[in-house]
Amino acid sequence: MLRLGLLIAALISSTSFASAQPAAPPGPLSTAAERVYELAKPRILQIRSLLQSTGRQSSLGSGFLVTPEGFAITNYHVVSQYALDPKTYRLEFLAPDGSKGGLALLAFDVAHDLAVVKVDRKDLPFFEFDPRALHDNLPKGERIYAMGNPLDLGFTIVEGTYNGLVDKSYDERIHFSGAINPGMSGGPVAGGDGRIVGVNVAKRLDGENVGFLVPAKFAAELIARARSGPPLVVDKAREEVGRQLNGWQASFYNTLRDQGFRSSSFGPYRGLESAAPWMTCWGSTNADAIPKPRTSVNSTRCSSATGIFVSDRILTGRVDLSYSYFKSVDLNAFQFSKELSQRSWGFDALGNKRLTEQECRDDFVAGGTGSRPPLRATWCMRAYREFEGLYNVTLLALTQDRDREALLAQLSMQGVSYANAEALGRKFLEAIQWQQ
Amino acid sequence: MAAVMWIEVLSRHGEVAARERIETDVARIGRAFDNDVVVDDPHVAPHHLRISRGEDGELVAEDLGTMNGLYAEHGAHRLPRLPLAKEPGIRIGRTILRVHDALHAVAPEKLLTPPRAHARWALGLGVALAASLVGLEWLNTTQEPTANAILLPVLGLVTVLALWTGVWALISRIFMGQARFSLQVRIALTACIALVIWDQLSEVLSFSFAWRAISEYAGLGAWALLAATCWAHLRGIGPKHMRMAMGLVVALICAGAALQLLGKSETQKLIGQRATLGDLRPPEFRLAPLASADDFFKKAALAKVKVDQARAKEPGSGGLFGDDSVD
Repeated sequence: MLRLGLLIAALISSTSFASAQPAAPPGPLSTAAERVYELAKPRILQIRSLLQSTGRQSSLGSGFLVTPEGFAITNYHVVSQYALDPKTYRLEFLAPDGSKGGLALLAFDVAHDLAVVKVDRKDLPFFEFDPRALHDNLPKGERIYAMGNPLDLGFTIVEGTYNGLVDKSYDERIHFSGAINPGMSGGPVAGGDGRIVGVNVAKRLDGENVGFLVPAKFAAELIARARSGPPLVVDKAREEVGRQLNGWQASFYNTLRDQGFRSSSFGPYRGLESAAPWMTCWGSTNADAIPKPRTSVNSTRCSSATGIFVSDRILTGRVDLSYSYFKSVDLNAFQFSKELSQRSWGFDALGNKRLTEQECRDDFVAGGTGSRPPLRATWCMRAYREFEGLYNVTLLALTQDRDREALLAQLSMQGVSYANAEALGRKFLEAIQWQQ
Repeated sequence: MAAVMWIEVLSRHGEVAARERIETDVARIGRAFDNDVVVDDPHVAPHHLRISRGEDGELVAEDLGTMNGLYAEHGAHRLPRLPLAKEPGIRIGRTILRVHDALHAVAPEKLLTPPRAHARWALGLGVALAASLVGLEWLNTTQEPTANAILLPVLGLVTVLALWTGVWALISRIFMGQARFSLQVRIALTACIALVIWDQLSEVLSFSFAWRAISEYAGLGAWALLAATCWAHLRGIGPKHMRMAMGLVVALICAGAALQLLGKSETQKLIGQRATLGDLRPPEFRLAPLASADDFFKKAALAKVKVDQARAKEPGSGGLFGDDSVD
């Protein structure tokens, strides 16, 4: 797959960012954009992944200089091919003035989709971060400018609106109302004074002009880490990716636990539901189906909507929790169990060889004390071949106390450690109860 | 003392072509017309063989000094003399003869299946099979049942059965001269009923004991059943060359089962086990004791050991989903 990403530089002012002084009211819009672009021009880069063997580009993105020693910020996904396979790929930058040069990968942050690269030149002009952005202190509605090279058509500046952080999202992302297109990934987004507010990262395909930026504070943190931390050994970058994914899931499942759970009712049963605001739930029913269904089905599916891009082949980091309450309308017990057999399929992504083949274990699990029904449960898991200690896990459970009604519950976790998967799995099974 | 002996000349197909009653103590066999038994075989000498009684009264064959000699029926070595008490078969030239003393014990009378018994059985089994298929189809219906949905599989099975029994009847007609159609139908129907029972049993047990391997390997039982069915059909046709035919059938079936297993293990290597609860039955069918959550997660830990081991191995290449498909 060819990934296009073009870096657009935001306007930078190399003078100090005395933020006590409110930014001068922008002039007519076109003037502001012109000025931002003029400032950005020597500070933005196109970042290319090239095949070592042929020197052809295999992916393009954008980046921007942020320190005098030539450190530039881009997206992790712009350099992921090189990070995971430095023997096959190399990195190169292209500046708007046509100059080219090599790039060294210094650090990356897979979870926030950021990377730091260093250009082999010194004393270049660079962007500064907007101190207001570092403290999430920008007013909604402020005009900001995204830059990059969309679809490899040439460097572009796009006016848009800062719309605060995205609601109901585990990852902090700035909602940018403006057109972001492939190729602009890793490009800077600056305010009217040319200081960095965020980094282009993604857009929604099912909406118009709904773009997302990585907040500038994460870029600033990563730069600090790149300066002070031990240097990245590129040949060991894959292990670093594994460490970061492990770290990410550890803090994600901690947060999930800290946010708490509640017991929700599904027909006469109860099941686990996360209280985290970023677990979004959707319901569905077959009540209005024609012809009238012989089994009524009411389903709820809650998803964390977290997705971590590791490589073209690996997207991970998601949790799904779904419940379907089945009640026979006029099926007998055998027909009803047949209906359940046809519905009890987990969402397993087969054939991805970055994961091992799936292993499953089945059993009848006692409900234990209280009002817990016995369960028929299946645990299935696959391991990530490239990252030790990470798994995709699917846990299915079906209540076994009635023969013409049942709750089918499913928990699926991507990129989770075994300990976290088991802990949440136990909680999930215990929470399946009969309505008091 | 009975002096009578019988000499049988077999045809090329192994049936008795001619049977001579000899009332003297010595019989001569050869191509010439002055023999007691005349054999039309260019590889037989005009005076080839003499059958007489030894001192103990047992029959003995003697070579009369021929070019092609005397052999036991299944023997590979030329013999000057051949005692016939145990093995009555003789080979001279390309002809097989059997010499029996009048006292030679014959097999007891075999019970004849009463006329139309196979047909009556076949009818009964057919009705039972059709009823159970319709019943099972009905139990598996989750949508509004239609006659079409329920009867079509039965019709399909009837067609397959008709073809299957037709082929066996034809084979029987060729080798036995009798089609014995109702026997073939009875055997095929019995096999179908056994298959339905096996299929249901393996699914129920797989659910009852929460043991997915049972349903995953139920196919092997079906292959064994197929072998047994072929054996029964062959036996119905006649016991001649039974061993060879059965060997062939068993070899074919083993090959089929092996191929299926191999295919399964390769699919497994590509995609592993499916995340599904399998074929469910009403909760009353559970036979396995309820496990505690701790036991269940102990089992889960075994799955972890397995996938951790699998990490070290190279993934299988190619296959159902292309080389490296994305989630």
